[in-house]
Amino acid sequence: MPKISRLFIKSGIIYFFLGMILAFVAEMPFVNTGALLLPVYWHMIVVGWVTQIIMGVSIWMFPRIGKERKKTETTPAYLAFWLLNSGLILRFTIEPFIPLFSANKAVSAVVLISALLHISAIISYITEIWPRVRTRPIKVRRSE
Amino acid sequence: MMPLQSVYMIRLSLAWLLLSTLVGAVLLVHKAYGIHPSAWLLLPLHFEMAIWGWMVQLVIGTAYWMFPRFLRIDIRGPELPAWIMVFLFNSGLFLILSGHMVKSASGLILSGRILLLTGIGIFIYLIWSRVISYRNL
Repeated sequence: MPKISRLFIKSGIIYFFLGMILAFVAEMPFVNTGALLLPVYWHMIVVGWVTQIIMGVSIWMFPRIGKERKKTETTPAYLAFWLLNSGLILRFTIEPFIPLFSANKAVSAVVLISALLHISAIISYITEIWPRVRTRPIKVRRSE
Repeated sequence: MMPLQSVYMIRLSLAWLLLSTLVGAVLLVHKAYGIHPSAWLLLPLHFEMAIWGWMVQLVIGTAYWMFPRFLRIDIRGPELPAWIMVFLFNSGLFLILSGHMVKSASGLILSGRILLLTGIGIFIYLIWSRVISYRNL
């Protein structure tokens, strides 16, 4: 398994654990946060866990093209990992506090940056995986 | 070799992932900047695209490709139902999304759900007999 897949899968497992803990905490009778934590733990589970596991496994298992036949890491895959995880960390840190600091420009700017990081991460992942989703491997002749 | 139906389903799932992320980003930014009160109408689109378009479709496309194949010429079973599955699944999802956007057009969501369900039914029909091991033959 390439290193980038291990990073995706291990961080996915961490988000799964955190998401379940947060969902549990949000259900406690003495925690009265209303729906503030709901988008946080849902995104921890759906994006942090499920989507990252899919990304890690697909980068590992999907057919490779040409020179990449050896399971090496590529720049778009690394970009996808770091952009997605920095976007998620920013989002999970700031999202529950948005209603409290709605007039604060710095908070709004962090939210905007987080949204842009999410989009950039998905574009990087698609850049990595799109050419590998194909019917027949492209044969590359070795130059003598 | 990845079959063409899986190529279509996996690539369509990537396209739905991107669309869902864009819509989700708009909703996140709306929380902070208050873009427009009607922005929340996009929330069901975000869910439907992420769950059906991205996750379920990717799983179906990958399973159709990777599950054990038959020991005969049509290694994954008949091709026409597989193409119908791809079409029904995505047109069903498109109708569901249209139904969420055009509230006045009642029946769009129900029609979409029926198409989506039929697509999933065809997937079950195609994959059921491929859940098998040839080890002890």
